[in-house]
Amino acid sequence: MAQPILMPKLGQSDEVAPIVKWRKRIGETVNKGDILFEIETEKAVLEVESFFAGRLIKIVVPAGQAAPVNATVAFLGKPGEKAPEVAAAAAHPVVEHGAGGRHGGRPSRVENKDYALSSGGSGSVPTVAAPLAATAVPLKPGRLLISPRARALASASCIDPAGIAGSGPDGRIVEKDVRAHLEARGYDKLRISPAAKALAAQQKVDILSVTGTGEGGRIMTEDIQRALAERPKPLTLMRQTIARRLTQSVVTTPHFYVTVSVDMGDLLKLRQEAKARGSDYSVTDFILAACIMALQEAPEVNSSTDGQSVRWHASVHLGLATSRPDGLVVPVIRDAQKLTLAELHQAAKALAARARDGKLLPEELSGSTFTVSNMGMLNVENFTAIINPGESAILAVSSTLPTPVARDGNVVVRPIMKITLASDHRLVDGAMAARFVNAIKTKLEDVSLWTRSI
Amino acid sequence: MPNHLNDLRPDFTKRKISCGSIPAYRFEATLADELAARHITKREAVNLLEDMLIVREFEEMIVKLRSGAYPACAGFEYRGPTHVSIGQEACSVGACSGIAAEDYITSTHRGHGDSVAKGCVAIRQMNAAALRSRVPDATGTPGEICEAALEDHIFRTAAELFGKEDGYCKGRGGSMHIADFSVGHLGANAIVGGGVPIATGAAWACRYLRNGRVAVSFAGDGAYSNGVVLESLNWAAQHQFTNMLAKGHSYGLPMIFAIQNNHYGMTGRADNEVAGVEFLARRAAGFDDRNMHAEVVNGMDVLAVREAMQRAAALCREGRGPCLLELSTYRYYGHSLSDPRNEYRTREEETAWKEVDPLERYTREIVAARALTRKGVEALVEKVQARNARAAARAAKALEPKPADVLKYLYSDLTSAVVPAEFQKVEIVREKPAITRTNGQLTYRDALKEALLEEMLRDNRVVVYGEDVAEYGGAFKVTKGLLEAFGRERIFNSPISEAAICSTAVGSAMLGLRPVIELMYMDFALMSGDAIGNQAAKWHYMSGAKAEIAMVIRASVGGGKGYGGQHSQTLESVFAHIPGLYVVYPATPRDAKGLLKTAIRDNNPILFVESQLLYMTKGEVPEDPEFTIPLGLAEVKREGKDISFVVWGPALQDALKAADELAGDGVEAEVVDLRSLIPLDMATVLRSVRKTGKVVVGSQCVTTGSFMGEVIANIQHDAFDALDAPIQRVGARDTIAPQSHVLESAFLPNAADFVAAARAIL
Repeated sequence: MAQPILMPKLGQSDEVAPIVKWRKRIGETVNKGDILFEIETEKAVLEVESFFAGRLIKIVVPAGQAAPVNATVAFLGKPGEKAPEVAAAAAHPVVEHGAGGRHGGRPSRVENKDYALSSGGSGSVPTVAAPLAATAVPLKPGRLLISPRARALASASCIDPAGIAGSGPDGRIVEKDVRAHLEARGYDKLRISPAAKALAAQQKVDILSVTGTGEGGRIMTEDIQRALAERPKPLTLMRQTIARRLTQSVVTTPHFYVTVSVDMGDLLKLRQEAKARGSDYSVTDFILAACIMALQEAPEVNSSTDGQSVRWHASVHLGLATSRPDGLVVPVIRDAQKLTLAELHQAAKALAARARDGKLLPEELSGSTFTVSNMGMLNVENFTAIINPGESAILAVSSTLPTPVARDGNVVVRPIMKITLASDHRLVDGAMAARFVNAIKTKLEDVSLWTRSI
Repeated sequence: MPNHLNDLRPDFTKRKISCGSIPAYRFEATLADELAARHITKREAVNLLEDMLIVREFEEMIVKLRSGAYPACAGFEYRGPTHVSIGQEACSVGACSGIAAEDYITSTHRGHGDSVAKGCVAIRQMNAAALRSRVPDATGTPGEICEAALEDHIFRTAAELFGKEDGYCKGRGGSMHIADFSVGHLGANAIVGGGVPIATGAAWACRYLRNGRVAVSFAGDGAYSNGVVLESLNWAAQHQFTNMLAKGHSYGLPMIFAIQNNHYGMTGRADNEVAGVEFLARRAAGFDDRNMHAEVVNGMDVLAVREAMQRAAALCREGRGPCLLELSTYRYYGHSLSDPRNEYRTREEETAWKEVDPLERYTREIVAARALTRKGVEALVEKVQARNARAAARAAKALEPKPADVLKYLYSDLTSAVVPAEFQKVEIVREKPAITRTNGQLTYRDALKEALLEEMLRDNRVVVYGEDVAEYGGAFKVTKGLLEAFGRERIFNSPISEAAICSTAVGSAMLGLRPVIELMYMDFALMSGDAIGNQAAKWHYMSGAKAEIAMVIRASVGGGKGYGGQHSQTLESVFAHIPGLYVVYPATPRDAKGLLKTAIRDNNPILFVESQLLYMTKGEVPEDPEFTIPLGLAEVKREGKDISFVVWGPALQDALKAADELAGDGVEAEVVDLRSLIPLDMATVLRSVRKTGKVVVGSQCVTTGSFMGEVIANIQHDAFDALDAPIQRVGARDTIAPQSHVLESAFLPNAADFVAAARAIL
């Protein structure tokens, strides 16, 4: 019996996951634990290991295609074994058109032996026992209804036929519609350099949408390149996830913001001393540690709500917003309250590295109770952050900048870092937020708190 | 005067009809007697034994190959039929030795013996030049070269069975379709009875060519229940070949029906079961007042077979054919090696027949006659075994045909572009039919007649026959006047035997004639299904291009006249599906003439379809006798840019009318007439489709499964991006042509259908 390989559920909300790459070829031997294939989830590209040993005898879902969770994507078996026939569980089932010409074919199946009687009036053989009107059958979603000839003309003309109104049966775009469109848009007068046209054809740029900057409005290669750069590209799964989750947060969570300035002078000094002794703590490590302490003192902030009830979390699972070239992920330091500063440093460093490499595991990407977004290294004076859905607050940490401040009646320049807490007003009120940010501030300014830890 | 008017008066005089008598087993001589009477030389006597030994050794090889027990071909796997004729050697060898080397045979699926024997006999009679052409590399004495040619013959026969390029038919035919035209072997035939009408046609060609040759059809008892064989018996015995209609050439068909009665069809028993006569020779009495000079012969006695065959051949050469010989023999093995025989006959029966084994019997005779000593016989056996083994081993190792050549030899590239001088001589017996133009125009009917007339004048190998084509001029008068011009030698009425009409044409084409036969209604072509589909279409390929089947089958479509289901069919799609045939269907007088002339000059078997709806249509037709139209060239009959009608046959008229009507809407329709389905000119169609983007394919064929679908498949494949709308089909409705005028109008497509189909996509 061939062993089916199923699509695992790895992400938080993945119902359908695309296979990015197969790491084994058909016929290749697979050992238990070998990486079989890679899938893309909302947060990362993940490697899927085999639980079974055998030979890869069939790939049901090839790279580049998506399959629902628990769908069979491949079979392992013995050499020469035949894999069972399985239709790939496509995300979009393809519906075939019913056939049947004007003069019709013979019945493909005779459902009713009396069909000759029932259709005797016309004396004709029915085209199919249950005739399907072509119009009643939906096309594949997103497929443009256009004749091959019209498509070829559009393609040869370097235009996008998508917006053209079709006059053919069922609204099909036919050749004359494309010609009318070209005429209406003054295609004849369009001037374009041969190189630009070749590039447009190759890259399928609609030259009617390009503004020419050459002599007399002639479309040049640079114009096509500009259009290409501006051309919408599909959002990555990660960006789609960011968009969905943060939009949800902004729409459903009443945010308010409280900012305080933290004098980092003493702490920076302490860090320099520690560094001189070989302990390489980052400013972030202290901020995280301060947050953990403050959260333990203020369980209201370490909580979440669904709008109906509130849930206080006994542990601090600290989310660390981490930037990647293609977006943003929030790896989670679990049970952060149990970690020493040194352990926290190690955990944060490892997570950040794995996040940058796209190697985070799903469980490392979910379940945070509070998030810190640190833009200290990005030279910002102050900013606000959007609360991660399921949390009550997020701390936005800005850069530490030399700032004139009043101290004992004098203006002095101190390294000041602004931190802004965004809070969910359903859970946290102003006074609570103020106490909480000031608790963090106090901890960061009181180096006695840290001297023992480092 | 070629025309003959019957004057048959009623005669109901009381009488008894005598069927005469048929001699059986009249030959009683021994070899010693024959030698003494100088009916045979010692050399010939030994050759008979050697040939029977070769045949048996060859077939025993097939049996052994199946179990890997033939050491010379160790490791070679034989894939193919195992229809061995072991036990029947005296029939094959006796018969082939009783006719001349240049005489013709056809054989059967159990034909290894016939093929081997015909070759051996012919090779032994060949002169030095002929032998050299068979084995150019052989050296030595004439005897040694003959020996090399015999071994080469066994090699080519085995190679054909093994499907090798060196086989007689280049591996395209195999055991059941082996042929060697160089020795007059016109082919074994896997259709029971299929070879009999071919031999009959060859015999007719011998008569026509006056070449003094004879054609022999070998066929079993099973075949003599087959319709086309009975048609052939009737065909061969026609009075018109010998009575006053034959004028100065009273000459019966030089045809010998050699029944190899081994008493079993596949397993069906001729005796007591599937026939009503004890002796199949009685069949002769049913077809010929003279019983065809029939005889029943001991088919286990090679000398008896030889003697009867010599007598029959001599009669044939005197113009007293046809003859029928029933050779009673026995098949030791079953139908094939998978047949255990015990389900339908006793072991005792087999033992009894083996006791009269032809080889053992003749060996005894040859020793008794001192033509050979026992030792001499043993040496001969060893020589035969060694020669066969060498030939078979070479055949097993011979080259396989190349897969890329799978289509090679399907069609002939040859034409009768140059008519040899001896065939240019044409006699006009009375007068040519007058074909007059009105304003330069001819009817479709006269255009066809002019084509026939010109081609018959050009080449006397062109002969015309079919039902009622002579005095009456054919049911549709296309051949009217040709009898008066050329006489009954070149145009004659055939019996109503559509299968024999077509298959005899195959046989006469194999001898180099160029028959143009008429089937009257196309519906009747289904009566000739085997002749057209299995014989005419296939012999060029199955013979490895050794045979040229230059023949034209004219068939007329009756649709549209209220003639009902069996006289109205448009069946060209059926025949276009059979590889090896060309299918041509002109729709204008000009095309009718140009295409028929080309078809007659072409060396391929061509189904030439005419329509009765078109016979009276008129059009300009060139008078030039060299005017021809190439096959496989569609023609744009009307130019347009908005939509293409791709049609053939009478649908052309409908499409042109539709184009006229659409012109009123400002639509310019282009009309492409395919003119021939095979070969198919897609280039012209695609040019039109690329121009217009919209296509209606139409014909009078019943829609489902018709050739229209093939055209459409090609269009969508080769011009998909040129299509601006789904391709439309306008054919006849999927039903049987009704008699009722009202219903037939609804059944057949018309101009309005084309207009509607066009408007649906314009």
